[in-house]
Amino acid sequence: MTTADRPRQGLRPAFRHWRARRPFWGGLLLALGGGWILLTEKASLKVVLHIGMQGLAGYLLPGLMLLLGLLILFNPAQRLFYSITGVLLSLGTWVTSNLGGFLIGLLLGVTGSCLAFGWLPDQEPRRGRRVRKQAKPADGAGLTKV
Amino acid sequence: MASSSDVTSSADRTPGNPESGSEERRGRVRMRRAAVMAVPATLVAAGLAVLTAQGALGVQFAISGMPFTVTATDLTGTGFEQFGSLDNMAEGSPNAGDTGGQVLVVTSAIKNATLTKLCQSVDLGGTNLKIQAGSGSQKVQATDLTTDSTELSGNASFDNIEIGNDASTLTKAGVKGPIGVFSQQADTVHIANLRQVNYATTAGVFKLPGLKLSFSSSGC
Repeated sequence: MTTADRPRQGLRPAFRHWRARRPFWGGLLLALGGGWILLTEKASLKVVLHIGMQGLAGYLLPGLMLLLGLLILFNPAQRLFYSITGVLLSLGTWVTSNLGGFLIGLLLGVTGSCLAFGWLPDQEPRRGRRVRKQAKPADGAGLTKV
Repeated sequence: MASSSDVTSSADRTPGNPESGSEERRGRVRMRRAAVMAVPATLVAAGLAVLTAQGALGVQFAISGMPFTVTATDLTGTGFEQFGSLDNMAEGSPNAGDTGGQVLVVTSAIKNATLTKLCQSVDLGGTNLKIQAGSGSQKVQATDLTTDSTELSGNASFDNIEIGNDASTLTKAGVKGPIGVFSQQADTVHIANLRQVNYATTAGVFKLPGLKLSFSSSGC
């Protein structure tokens, strides 16, 4: 009711609308998985440089996972390529990065990639939502469109 | 924004916009489609885990910033170096405590190491993540193993040890320390009942036969 509530009411539907047009959870989980793996391996750069390319791959893979997760969120049109690359990178982190961030990051990454792969735009609303809509008087237009 | 003006006009009716909110066709995850990727991915992940547990696949480790304990009943290595150094934690790390973000550590580097009954545990606050490996006939093998430890105990024996070198002149394991720091190096090292409290460890390749990953209330 106060002025502080108003922007929130404006932002939340906007966010819902934004979320509806992209594989939100898929991208988010993949990005979180990459971030988590990076957190588990904050080795000093000096040691990484000593070990060389093999050590750098341990940072490259989760870094790319993070990037692909964000790309899925902000460029969902290319989600197939991003999610297939994402699942391969997630599986690769098992070898390169602390067993995929002690398994947690790997699971997040694979789950996120699968959700992004399985996501399709413009789906019929869920049954629960349709039932709720039928209770309202103005449901005719929505159903004929389907 | 257009949506905010819509909301002010119809704020009392629905939370969403009347034209786009109630009829909006949302994107959704189709389970069968997701399974096309999920099933092979799960199989590959399981395959990787099995290969690692059999010791056929080497995995890389790089951990730091959290103190963790490593124990092994037996460590045999070739190319050993040891020197003191200072570890800096990431800025604002919750693990810093009263140390000011810096810990004095002993850096040990081993070119090739073989460990029996390796056990590694990280305290996650209440519960411990525990990794055990090499308890069977096959041993854990690590190359380019570098650890920064605050505590190190065990019964050690060295071959061809050189004590009192400058840390910047070390040659046996390929790591060089800061100039003007005491160090020692040896051709081979053997440590029984090893116990380390580490702040950082890296290994070029780690082979973990008989891998067991578990959460447990007690550490190693």
